[in-house]
Amino acid sequence: MTTEPTTPPPRTTGSSFTRRGFLGLTSAAVAGVGLSACTGGGASTGSGATAAATNNLRVFTYEGDETIDLFKAQMKAFDQQAGTTTTVESLPGSGAAVYPDKLRTQLLGGKGPDVWRIWGGQIGAPFAKAKQALDLSPYYSKFGWDSKINTAAISGMTFDGVKSGVPFVSLGIGAWYNKSLLAKAGVSGPPTTYAELEAMNDKLVAVGVTPCGLGGKYGWDIMRLFEYLLEHTAGPELHDKLLTGAESWDRPEVVEAFALFKKWQDKKWLPQGALGLDPADIEPAYVQGKTAYTITGPWTEAASILSAKKNPAGFGSFELPTDQSPARHSGFVEGYMINAKSGNADKAAELIDFIVKPATQKALQVSASTVKGAEPDAKSLPLSYEWSQKYGSNPFYTIQDQAFPKKQADQYFSVQSDILQGSVTPDAAAKKMQEIVSAWAKG
Amino acid sequence: MATVAIARSKPGATRRPAKKGAKRGGKWSPWLFALPALVVYVAFLVYPAVSSLWFSLTDWDGLSATYNFVGLDNYAKLPSDPVVATAVRNNLIWTIVTIIVPTVIGLALAIALNGKVHGKPILRMVFYTPAVLPLVSIASIWGWLYNPQYGAINSFLRLIGLDGLAQPWLGQDSTALWAVMVPAIWLRTGFPMLLYLAALQGIPNELYEAATVDGASRWQQFWHVTMPGLRPAHYIVLALSLIDSFKVFDMIYAMTYGGPGTATQVMGTWMYANVFQYYQAGYGTAIAVVITLVAIAVGIPYVRSQTREAS
Repeated sequence: MTTEPTTPPPRTTGSSFTRRGFLGLTSAAVAGVGLSACTGGGASTGSGATAAATNNLRVFTYEGDETIDLFKAQMKAFDQQAGTTTTVESLPGSGAAVYPDKLRTQLLGGKGPDVWRIWGGQIGAPFAKAKQALDLSPYYSKFGWDSKINTAAISGMTFDGVKSGVPFVSLGIGAWYNKSLLAKAGVSGPPTTYAELEAMNDKLVAVGVTPCGLGGKYGWDIMRLFEYLLEHTAGPELHDKLLTGAESWDRPEVVEAFALFKKWQDKKWLPQGALGLDPADIEPAYVQGKTAYTITGPWTEAASILSAKKNPAGFGSFELPTDQSPARHSGFVEGYMINAKSGNADKAAELIDFIVKPATQKALQVSASTVKGAEPDAKSLPLSYEWSQKYGSNPFYTIQDQAFPKKQADQYFSVQSDILQGSVTPDAAAKKMQEIVSAWAKG
Repeated sequence: MATVAIARSKPGATRRPAKKGAKRGGKWSPWLFALPALVVYVAFLVYPAVSSLWFSLTDWDGLSATYNFVGLDNYAKLPSDPVVATAVRNNLIWTIVTIIVPTVIGLALAIALNGKVHGKPILRMVFYTPAVLPLVSIASIWGWLYNPQYGAINSFLRLIGLDGLAQPWLGQDSTALWAVMVPAIWLRTGFPMLLYLAALQGIPNELYEAATVDGASRWQQFWHVTMPGLRPAHYIVLALSLIDSFKVFDMIYAMTYGGPGTATQVMGTWMYANVFQYYQAGYGTAIAVVITLVAIAVGIPYVRSQTREAS
C-alpha cells in the first residue's frame, strides 16, 4: 500500500490565475498602449550628448516642390566646396501648424537635424529657450553676419538676447490679385484707402466673384485679414502694444476690428465656409480665377503663379491700405538654427554662411532676402521684385501667430472662429482676447 | 497494487529525462520562453508608460532637459480647462455614434449579403474597401466632398433644388463633428459586416427550418435564432469598435485640425496639442493618463465577460 504513488493535488489556483492574469495583463497592455503613445521621447530629456563629428550634415526644411530642387542643388554645391555630404529633408505645405511638431519630435528622438529652417518670433523661440538651438553669437562674429544681414531681421531671431538663428528671408504680406477679375468688376487699379477696398469687394461680389480667398482650417491664414483690420482700426502704436499685452484688448478699436471682420464674412467678401477651408486649397484660387485676391507673401509667385505656368503679367500685388501713418504691412522672418547637439556645428555654420551669400540667395530665388545684394531677380520673379521695390522698405508689424505662443494663438483663432460664426459679439470677443493676452503676459 | 504501481511507473521512467530538464530550468522555464516578448513589452510599452506617468507629475515643456515635480497640479487643472469639457463631450458622442451606427449597418449588410444576392463578392468588396484605404486619403476625399463651394455634396444639394441645405459642413461648430463622423462610419462599416457575415454562415440552417415549422416570423427568427447565434461576433465587434473609438485622433486631425476653434477637439487631439504644440508635455501627459484610465475602466467589464465566457 505504501508503494502506491501519491497523486499531487490539483492546482486549484491555476484557473483563477488565468482569469486574473488575463484581466491584469489586458489592463496593463491597454495602459501601456495608451500611455506610451504620449511621450516616447521622455528618455532623451536627460541626454545632452553631442554627436560625434563627421562630414555628414542633415538639413530639415519646409521648401515647397517648386523650390526644393534649387535648394538641393545649392546643398550639392556646398558639399563640393566643403567636402561634406548634406542630406535634405523637407516637409512642405502645412505651414507653422505641423512642421515645428515634427522638428521637436526629431530633436527629442536624439536624431535631430544639424541645421533646420524655422520661423522667427514665438515659433522659433521654444527651441532657443529649451537650448535645443545653439547660441550662434561666435559665428556671427566669425562670419560677420551682423554687417551682412538686415538688423531688424536679426532681432526676429534673437531670443532673450541670444542670437539663436540666422534670418535669410524677411517676408511682407499683402494682397495678391488676379488682374482680369478686377477688370471684370470694373476696378481700374488696386485700392489706396480702406473705403476703396470695401468698394472693390462690393463690385466683385456684384459680378459673382468671391473677393478674398482665405481659409480658416489652421487659423493662421484667416488671421491675416483680422490683423490687417486691427492695424487699420488701432494704428501702428496701439497695435504693437496690444501684441505685447501692454494695452488692453477690451477697447473700441479692437471691437471695431472684430465687427469689420464679421462684416467681411456677412457681405460674402470671404469664401462660403471659409473657416473649414484648407489654406493650401483656397490661397491659389486667385490664380485659378475662382477668387479675386488673397492675402499672402511674395512666395506665392513661385508657389502658385509660376508653378501653374501662368504669366506673372496677369497678376499683381498691393499693400493693404490701412489709412494709417506710417503705412505698414504684416511681416515675419525665417532663418536657420543649428542643433546644440550637432557634432558638426562648425560645418553647419559654414553651410548657413553659404546659404546667406548673395549668390546663393539669388540661386535659391529668395523673394525677400535679408542679405544685401540679393534682391529678387526682376526677370525670373517680376512680381516679387515689384513688391520689394514698392513696399519692401515699409515697416511691418509682427504677424500675429509669431507674436503669440502657439497656445495663445490657437485661443485667438478660436475667438476669430466664434466671431465669424456669430456665436460671440465683437464686444465679447474683445473681452475674451484681453483675458487670453493678459493671462499670457502675466505668466 | 504493486503491479499497478510498476505499470504506472513505466511511463514515468521514459519521461525522466524531460523531468530532469524541467528541473534544470525549474519554475523559471516559462519566463525564459517569454523573455524575448517581455523585453520588447517592457522596453516599448511599460517603460514609456511609466515615464509618461512620471512626466504627468512634472511641468516638463517637452523640449528642455530640466523640469520640476509639481505633484497632481496637472490633474487639478483638468476640470477647469474648457477644452477638456468639449473634448470629453465629443469623445462620448463619437464613441456612441461610431459604435452603434457601423455595427447596425454592418449587421444589416451582412444579413442582406448572406441571402441570395447577385454579385455578392463584388458587393462585399465595395463595402469593405473603405476599411483598407489610408485614413489621410479618406480625409482628403471627404474634405473635397464637403467643400462648401465646389464640393460634390453641396453641388448635389443645389442641383436638386435644396440650396438651403448646402452648408459649410466642416466650417461651423454645429455640423463639423457630425461631418467628420460620416466618413468614420463609412470606413468602419466593412469590418463588422465581414465578421457578421462569417458568423451568420456558422448558424445551422436547421435552426431556421425548425423555427419556420414552429411558425416563427422572419422578425422572430432574427431575434431568437440569428441574434443569439451572433453573440460571439457581437463581443468581438463591440470590443474592437470600442478600442477604435477611444483611439480617435487621425480623422479629426486631418479633417478639421480640432476646429473650427476647438469645436471638434477630442481628448486625443487635445493631448497631442498640449504635448507637441503648446510645449506643455506634463499637462498633456496627464490627459493621456486620464484617457488610459477611462479606457481601462470601460474595458474591464468586457474582459471579465470574455474570461467568464471562456471558463
